[in-house]
Amino acid sequence: MTHLELIHIHKSFGSAVAVEDFNLAVAQGEFISFLGPSGCGKTTTLRMIAGFELPTSGKIAINGADLTYTPPNKRNVGMVFQSYALFPNMTVAQNVGYGLKIAGKTKAEIEARVAEMLALIQMEKFAARYPYQLSGGQQQRVALARALAIRPQVLLLDEPLSALDAKIRLELRQEIRRIQRQLGITTIYVTHDQEEALSLSDRIVVMSQGRIEQIGTPTAIYNEPATEFVAQFVGHINLLPVEVITPAEGVVRLGGQVIRAGRFGHLNGRPVRLAVRPEELNPGFVEGLNNLSGRVESVTYLGSIVRIRVEVEGHLLALDMFNERRLKIPAVGDALQVHFPVEACWLL
Amino acid sequence: MNAKRINWWAIFWGALAILYFFLPMYGTLDFSLRMKRGEISLLAYEIVFADPRFWEGFRYSTLMALMTIVISVLVFVPTVYWMHLKVPQARPVVEIITILPFIIPPIVYVFGLIRTFSRPPLQMTLSPITTDLLIVTGYVVISMPYMFRAVDVGMRAIDVRSLTEAAQSLGSNWFQVLAHVIVPNLRIAILSGALICFATVMGELILASFLVRPALGPYMQLLGLTKAYEPAALAIISYALTWFSLGLIQLVSRSGTAQQLTGR
Amino acid sequence: MNLAPSISPRKPGWHEHPLRNWLGLLPFFAFILFFLIIPSLNLFSGAFVNRSGDFTLGNMAVFRNPNVIKAYLTSLQVSFLTAAIGGLFGFFVAYAVTIGNAPRWMRSVIMTFSGLAANFGGVPLAFAFIATLGRTGFITAILKGICFPGAEGGTVCPFNPYDNGFSLYSLNGLVLAYTYFQFPLMVLTITPALEGLKKEWREASANLGASPWQYWRDVALPVLAPSILGATLLLFGNSFGAYATAQALTGGSIPLVTIFIGQQIRGDVLGNPNEGYALSLGMVVIMAVTIVAYSALQRQAARWMKS
Repeated sequence: MTHLELIHIHKSFGSAVAVEDFNLAVAQGEFISFLGPSGCGKTTTLRMIAGFELPTSGKIAINGADLTYTPPNKRNVGMVFQSYALFPNMTVAQNVGYGLKIAGKTKAEIEARVAEMLALIQMEKFAARYPYQLSGGQQQRVALARALAIRPQVLLLDEPLSALDAKIRLELRQEIRRIQRQLGITTIYVTHDQEEALSLSDRIVVMSQGRIEQIGTPTAIYNEPATEFVAQFVGHINLLPVEVITPAEGVVRLGGQVIRAGRFGHLNGRPVRLAVRPEELNPGFVEGLNNLSGRVESVTYLGSIVRIRVEVEGHLLALDMFNERRLKIPAVGDALQVHFPVEACWLL
Repeated sequence: MNAKRINWWAIFWGALAILYFFLPMYGTLDFSLRMKRGEISLLAYEIVFADPRFWEGFRYSTLMALMTIVISVLVFVPTVYWMHLKVPQARPVVEIITILPFIIPPIVYVFGLIRTFSRPPLQMTLSPITTDLLIVTGYVVISMPYMFRAVDVGMRAIDVRSLTEAAQSLGSNWFQVLAHVIVPNLRIAILSGALICFATVMGELILASFLVRPALGPYMQLLGLTKAYEPAALAIISYALTWFSLGLIQLVSRSGTAQQLTGR
Repeated sequence: MNLAPSISPRKPGWHEHPLRNWLGLLPFFAFILFFLIIPSLNLFSGAFVNRSGDFTLGNMAVFRNPNVIKAYLTSLQVSFLTAAIGGLFGFFVAYAVTIGNAPRWMRSVIMTFSGLAANFGGVPLAFAFIATLGRTGFITAILKGICFPGAEGGTVCPFNPYDNGFSLYSLNGLVLAYTYFQFPLMVLTITPALEGLKKEWREASANLGASPWQYWRDVALPVLAPSILGATLLLFGNSFGAYATAQALTGGSIPLVTIFIGQQIRGDVLGNPNEGYALSLGMVVIMAVTIVAYSALQRQAARWMKS
């Protein structure tokens, strides 16, 4: 059943359109990420759910109740900010308990719930500390506990990890997912980091310039990107301009070489590109698969991955292979053949 | 959030503040223009500008202000520079020193100056020249918090260490580093401090009055005892002078910032 | 055979001695020593000697002098009043131009003139107020001119402030004049603190169910408290140490500690010059306590703001 629903949400600031026709239905307990570059409208949409911005038109509902114009302090959604926003004049315990105090709970109830939350984030010993005495990661955990203490219907996180070091980011990422699964709370997570989105989410909403590009599971987003933007934004992609030979079978031609595409829509004469991920390409010729010949243009060591750029019919193709000792890395200038399965490529 | 709603509460307080700023100024201006009974005239201003004692006071104060600025820059810029570069641990001590003029108000300070410097062994009040020197050092001390802060803030904005090391690697000695590299990059900060110094000295009364020097402040005070319209004109002139100095600071900081940042 | 020369650590020479760096600050320290420290210490030491130069605590008797007590009480009264009035007024004005979203032009005007007015004092300020609220001042004239027909014929002009007990040359007038530079000082000092209130705190509190009033009660005002208190202390000190405005406005008729000291400098009004030094010392002690408290509050405010 749908827990959170956004229906035809539009938001413009004067003449600038920030969010256009946003539609989303979220099930109870789902972890949804809004993924996209800066300015794509993901934070604006999140803030509309929280009530800090009002949609120009459209409807937001939780459990069927229309929340679109409810003031933010009456919505019972928990929000975690990028800058933590802990109240500096209150201890950790007071911060976590603040929402409960406003709701008029008794002292005993507040203490019990605060203890429960601190145990959840494993920071019981920090109850009497002040925010300025905590590290960034610790502050963010307290912010999470504070948002969850009021038992919100929905948890909203606005790029919660971007202000933290890479190592802390990874640790906290796991913790957020663990807690979310444990509590089963519907969660919306805004990020520009695709690795975060891919590793945390049940479904991802990829956005660009105020519009939804695609909604899907991480696998679907990665393996079956619906638009060129999604294909390029999530992971790396090769895009080759090709000529269609047989539209019904997805057979195309690059220069003098023929390729069959695994997925293709209606090819009605418009310019078409062949998309294939660098990790799907391997050196060598294999009968029955797609094969291309070219010349090695550059070899870049990226640590565990070696990225080889091959010039094929005047276009550059990127090929990623593992930096394993037993594999022979081609040299610049070598002639090279590459192969990839038909299912691994598609036409855009 | 609906932040664009007209906030009447805010407008009320803002309007009250503006009123408080302007009414006395307007009243003074109006008063200063009514010296000739029944008509608006600049007579009060004419009298002031024709008074040789006004010009004596103006010249004297301007001269003292310039000397104060020069001595302040000569003492504070190298000090702040050295502190940033070599002795950052001196900062707490130095900051306490720069707060002292707040703790020792001018009236008490001048009392101390007189007690110390009006008799041997450190007598400086015997001749006008030495007294002028004394008053300038007094002015330097009084404007120290502002001048120091201005230079300190300016120094923070430039990478003192790298600039010094670059200059030294190209053969400069300490004086050349200061003169050719540091000071030119501090132009705006020094100018801001200098303008605050200027405004302070021009309007200063206590030191000038008790050390009996012919500055602008004592002249104004004297006029206030016997005249009615000329003091109002003087107040306007004084206000214009302050406005001019502080306005220059705004102008200078706005136009110069880009230049200082990009070096173009 | 060991051909490598032995390299043993040598003691740091004079060139690397840490104390040498402090030498660079010598001109500054020397200047301050001669022209600030020595005059001040000289003055304070004078508080503890008698006419013949022997050590004594007898000068402290000056604080029992009824005139001196009156001066201190009046100074404290004026300082408290102008700190409170200037502080409150300044806070609301600062609020108006920051969070209150006053129109942009209003904010520019107020910030610019606050910078001007905070530095404007002494003789010109006194002249300005005399020209505005003196017996023949601009506003006094306007108020005097508001007349109505009287009960028995003739006209009644009830708004002349001087008929109603106000005088610019009294305590009230002084407070009014001092407020002219006190409230801008408050505006300048408290504006950074108000701007330091993070928007996210307000949003987080709303998100947790708090109304705007609850936000102010539980988060904003407590966070601002050290800054507000500190700024008020600054205003207090500013007023306590002020001399020129009071002298020019009242000619010394209102007993203030600074006026008293000024009179003492000009002539021996106390009968014992060393008592004048004791008076100065007393004033500096009060200022020192004020400034120290102000610094402590500033540090506290900074700690909270950075988180």
